[in-house]
Amino acid sequence: MDTNAAPIIEAKGLTKHFRRPVKEPGLKGAVRHLFRPAYADVVAVEGVNLSILPGESVAYVGPNGAGKSTTVKLLTGILVPTSGRVTVNGLTPFENRVENARRIGVVFGQRTQLWWDIPVGESFRLLGDIYELPDETYRASFGELIDVLDLEPLLRVPARQLSLGQRMRCDLAASLLHRPPILYLDEPTIGLDVSVKARFREFIRYMHRERGLTVMLTSHDLGDIEELCDRMVMIDNGRIVYDGALSEVTTRFGWERAVHLTLTEPDESALEAASRALGNRPGAVATQPEPTMVAVTFDSRETTAGELIRDLATALAVTDIRIEEPTAESIIRRLYEGDLVFEQAE
Amino acid sequence: MTTLFNILITFIWVFILYALWDAAFSETGAIAGYSWDEMRTYILLAYGINALVGWRVASQMMGTIRTGEITRELTRPLNYRSTQLAAAAGMSVVEGLISLVLILVLGTLLFDVQPPDSPVAAALFAVALLAGFVIKALCIFLISLLCFWTLNSVGLMWAQQAVISVLSGTLIPLAMMPGALRVVAEVLPLRGIVSTPLQIYLGKAQGWDLAGLLALQFGWLAVLWFFSDWAWRKAFNAVEIQGG
Ligand SMILES: Nc1ncnc2c1ncn2[C@@H]1O[C@H](COP(=O)(O)OP(=O)(O)OP(=O)(O)O)[C@@H](O)[C@H]1O
Ligand SMILES: [Mg+2]
Repeated sequence: MDTNAAPIIEAKGLTKHFRRPVKEPGLKGAVRHLFRPAYADVVAVEGVNLSILPGESVAYVGPNGAGKSTTVKLLTGILVPTSGRVTVNGLTPFENRVENARRIGVVFGQRTQLWWDIPVGESFRLLGDIYELPDETYRASFGELIDVLDLEPLLRVPARQLSLGQRMRCDLAASLLHRPPILYLDEPTIGLDVSVKARFREFIRYMHRERGLTVMLTSHDLGDIEELCDRMVMIDNGRIVYDGALSEVTTRFGWERAVHLTLTEPDESALEAASRALGNRPGAVATQPEPTMVAVTFDSRETTAGELIRDLATALAVTDIRIEEPTAESIIRRLYEGDLVFEQAE
Repeated sequence: MTTLFNILITFIWVFILYALWDAAFSETGAIAGYSWDEMRTYILLAYGINALVGWRVASQMMGTIRTGEITRELTRPLNYRSTQLAAAAGMSVVEGLISLVLILVLGTLLFDVQPPDSPVAAALFAVALLAGFVIKALCIFLISLLCFWTLNSVGLMWAQQAVISVLSGTLIPLAMMPGALRVVAEVLPLRGIVSTPLQIYLGKAQGWDLAGLLALQFGWLAVLWFFSDWAWRKAFNAVEIQGG
């Protein structure tokens, strides 16, 4: 990756609001809406700034309804922003939709880009015509994709008869046939089995590493993100809340640990005893999720697990101890749930 | 399958109309300047022509807008309107060829259809027919675009079919329409779909009348061409692609 290169995807203050008609239920509501339409403003994306360099692979994550798909639609130029600027490959996508479409590949996990009723092989040929690929380019590109994605047996099958995993492989090939420098993937692995998923990731990694493909991926599968992306952008309620290395998330929030203690018997006073034993250790908080369990969360920058365990083991009758290390998954889950906030991280 | 079904429906209509007009003409020799010979020809050709651009293009387009499937078309390097017009043309070639054969067979065997008024009329008929085809496809495109705002396609579809079949002159020739309706139908572009080509075919318009008809036809074609382009850009700005 060339860090001096100009960004291939750039968004500044990108904003999209939807208007959602507000209708009261029933005929009366429908009639009223006809004469005095009322709309609620839905904020899908708000002031998003993004800058992606050629050859980067970026995971775009966030809870359901955060605005991920909307952002992808804005970047592909099929949706016009309410305000803000976007530049992709030096073009403004929604103003130069057709030109932009030549230079990007898109896969939407939930819908196929193939023609439903015609054999996959025919679909590819049509796409070759649509993208006006010269014969040799088409043959080389087609041959490679068929090979890597093992599509030979599927070429004579119409898209509607493919299984989800087969269809996804075909869709991937279709999105890369014209050799675009950018690939957008919106929840590409949704519903795929473990082995298909693994092959899918391998393929994307190959295109990314060997071909310098710029990848932007939205997914709820942390495996996709960890295996494919160096950089994570998290969006929540339409706003970007984190943009940086994925590994940084764990180091940034990694100080938050927990010690789980299993007691010999149910103990009503265990929580009180634990709190007393912890005394005034900063940042350590005890809870008792079950009568036989005590959990203590603590800040590893202030205390060590060893010190805590020594304190607690003398105060309580403990049979088992488990120390919880933060994983990217647990941190991201807690970020979604609002348990952790990025601003508090410092 | 759908194609055959459409054609069948069309011909059932033609037979009903034929019977009705047959009865009407048994009393008089001509109605509003149309003789029974001409009227027979008109009925059959009018339905054949109006069936050319069916509602299937519209229903497909509206469907993709309603479900958000339109993303597929929009992520490709294709002009959206051209794609829709090409789809209309593609379907018309299939349906048109089958219809043409049926019309020729039925026309000569049962209806005793009149040939074109003159070779020039035949040539100009073909020109007007082609222009009418584009006019209809553009009108359907414009109506389908409304779907971006209303998302209600069934109502639009029925309204569109009814309005086109009256104002194009498919149901009855414009000359037989009552006063106000006739004036409206005569200035609107929809007459260009059926009425104008058939008036030329039957030799109902000559000289300056003929020139005027063609001028109106191509004038509207130009207006619709630019308007539909503008409307698409407008719609695209308002588009809220459905589905996540
Ligand atoms: N066509 C639309 N009309 C109105 N509101 C919409 C439309 N499309 C999306 N929204 C709203 O915009 C917000 C963002 O939606 P978006 O599809 O971008 O979320 P997402 O991050 O992709 O979520 P998910 O993970 O569930 O796919 C949501 O609140 C959604 O309800
Ligand atoms: Mg989504």
